[in-house]
Amino acid sequence: MTDTTLTILIVGLLALMGVGLYGLLAVRNLIKVIVALQILVKGALLALVAAGAASGQVNLGQSLAATVIVADTVVAVVGLALAVQVRRTVGTLDVQALARLKK
Amino acid sequence: MANEFTILLLIGLPWLGALLVWFTGDSRPRFQHLLAVLFSLAAGAVALSLIPGATDQAVLTLNVGGIFGAFTFVPDGLGVFLAAVATVVGSLAVIFSVEYMKGEAQLGRYYALVLFFIGGMVGLVLSGSLLLMFFFWEITALCSFALIAFNNDDPKAVAGGLKALIITSLGGVGLLIGALVIYGYTGSYEVNDFLAGAAQLPPDVLSLVAFGFLAAAAAKSSQVPFHTWLPGAMEAPTPISALIHAATMVNAGVYLLARFYPAFEGVPGWTTAVVIVGLASACLAALMALVAQDLKRALAYSTISQLGYMVYAVGVGGVFASQFHLLSHAVFKALLFLGAGAVIHSVGTRDMRQMGGLGQKMPFVRNTFIIGALALAGLPILNGFWSKELVLEAGLSGGPGWAFALMVIGAGLTACYTFRMVWLVFFGEPRAHLHAHETGPAMKVSLGLLAFGTLTTWLLVGPFGEMLAETLPHHHLHILDLGELISEILLAPATWLALAVIAIGLAAWWWHERLAAVRDGLGFLARWAEADFGFEWINRQVVRLTRGTAEALTATQTGVLNWNVAGIVGGLVAVLMILLLAWGA
Repeated sequence: MTDTTLTILIVGLLALMGVGLYGLLAVRNLIKVIVALQILVKGALLALVAAGAASGQVNLGQSLAATVIVADTVVAVVGLALAVQVRRTVGTLDVQALARLKK
Repeated sequence: MANEFTILLLIGLPWLGALLVWFTGDSRPRFQHLLAVLFSLAAGAVALSLIPGATDQAVLTLNVGGIFGAFTFVPDGLGVFLAAVATVVGSLAVIFSVEYMKGEAQLGRYYALVLFFIGGMVGLVLSGSLLLMFFFWEITALCSFALIAFNNDDPKAVAGGLKALIITSLGGVGLLIGALVIYGYTGSYEVNDFLAGAAQLPPDVLSLVAFGFLAAAAAKSSQVPFHTWLPGAMEAPTPISALIHAATMVNAGVYLLARFYPAFEGVPGWTTAVVIVGLASACLAALMALVAQDLKRALAYSTISQLGYMVYAVGVGGVFASQFHLLSHAVFKALLFLGAGAVIHSVGTRDMRQMGGLGQKMPFVRNTFIIGALALAGLPILNGFWSKELVLEAGLSGGPGWAFALMVIGAGLTACYTFRMVWLVFFGEPRAHLHAHETGPAMKVSLGLLAFGTLTTWLLVGPFGEMLAETLPHHHLHILDLGELISEILLAPATWLALAVIAIGLAAWWWHERLAAVRDGLGFLARWAEADFGFEWINRQVVRLTRGTAEALTATQTGVLNWNVAGIVGGLVAVLMILLLAWGA
């Protein structure tokens, strides 16, 4: 793998992670939060693949990535199911409004 | 004979018994009683058979590997002796329980915990590895907690249990830190390796370990300033108080100090600190026992006070005296607690103000209780007399004079509160309408055997000393045989001084009506002692501070997802910064 490819990959994964993190920090809608989390994890996936390729352990990197895809899908499914339930019982998807449930 | 099989048997038998009693189920109480008695007696027999084979070599080594090292069991004199105390007093307490706990709903839980405790205590004193010792140390603390809180629908019992658990675990941290530091510097958890090579540790590190162990010992043995948990522990069923909070677990702290004395005696300030801890506990607790109204609490304070004598003895270099007093105290205090248990079981209250005149209704309990009380007061020729005088003599020859003077005054206070207790419970006019009845055979067996022990254990001083001296190569004990003990004690000026003070203590109680003016003059002291000398206040402040801090910190838990993510990102950035800086450096 050439240095240019690696650079492109790193820039790409940093961009994905940045977008995901920004979303997690700024977004208030629960669905959007889950979307942001997915974007963040996709960045991490890309990082795994890139690291595997760069260190010559392509198999390791890709099998780790496959594992993360499975786990991540489960997270998304459970998260969305929770969001549906939250909307039904509380009537809102605003995470700041949900924080009031603490009291 | 000491081989790996007997060691496994000694720990395994009570634990197996615990499982069997548990699985028997509470629908068959007779079978549960029988199983518990059989297994505890078997463990007692195995422990006694181990005594002739005491050795300073590890007889059982379990190679766990990794950072856990090897778990070894060393049945040396100190360990075997305490294992015998734990199992023999344990089986007597179990026999006593057959009657005391009759009709109790959850016998399975009770006996399982008692037997689990006995096995844990045996493991604690026999283990030759510091880490393993810590594990067993916490097992005993856990059993103590669960048994104090046995009546778990009584909030006082639960609170007492939690308090005991928190304070002893806090002290246990000192033991863990000490063990890990020793491992870090020597690469071994072996107690004997450490005792042989303690001088190679840097002085600062050694003193950290020494004071860590002192904190652990003070918390476990309920010494000042950690003593406040023991009176609260009196909510436990009385056989538990006799077994765990008088005869065995509370001795673990004294055992720890005695075991590591050769390594720490050179640490500057350590022996002085030990003397002060023992002294403060002995005298303050004696004053508190003098004003206590609850029979069991009075006994608890007296336990703290007597443990103070043992700690003091270690501090002045009298390791043998401290262990000899430990033996005497384990026997006579178990007797006193079981006697108190028989009284409480019979009349249904622990308040001494309501008792009085019970001696006529329960002559057997009265007689055995008086034997125990005489030993506690330190009157000849009972076991408490010889061992307490030995402690005082060690204090006179090896410690500061002012400490000795205070300890002798403490002995006078002991005599005074002991006779107050006996008088309030068994003599005088009945102060309330209490239905009292004489005890049954199971209680009589336990009380009788312990009373016999109180009269006779001091005769064993010769073999006891030989066993300790032969298997503790680092301690250089000053041991005595029976003839030397008698002549040394009877010729020592400390003995006569102490006996005179004890007589004054007795006289003070006898004429306490005439001394009313003095008593009123000392009223401020009594009120201060009733308030636990302010230690309870310190406890409450610590609890309040912890709770206040925790409540203030809830403000950081916004529950807002964005803030949580910000926290995670902040933590990540901090870790990255630290890594970068560490690389840069």
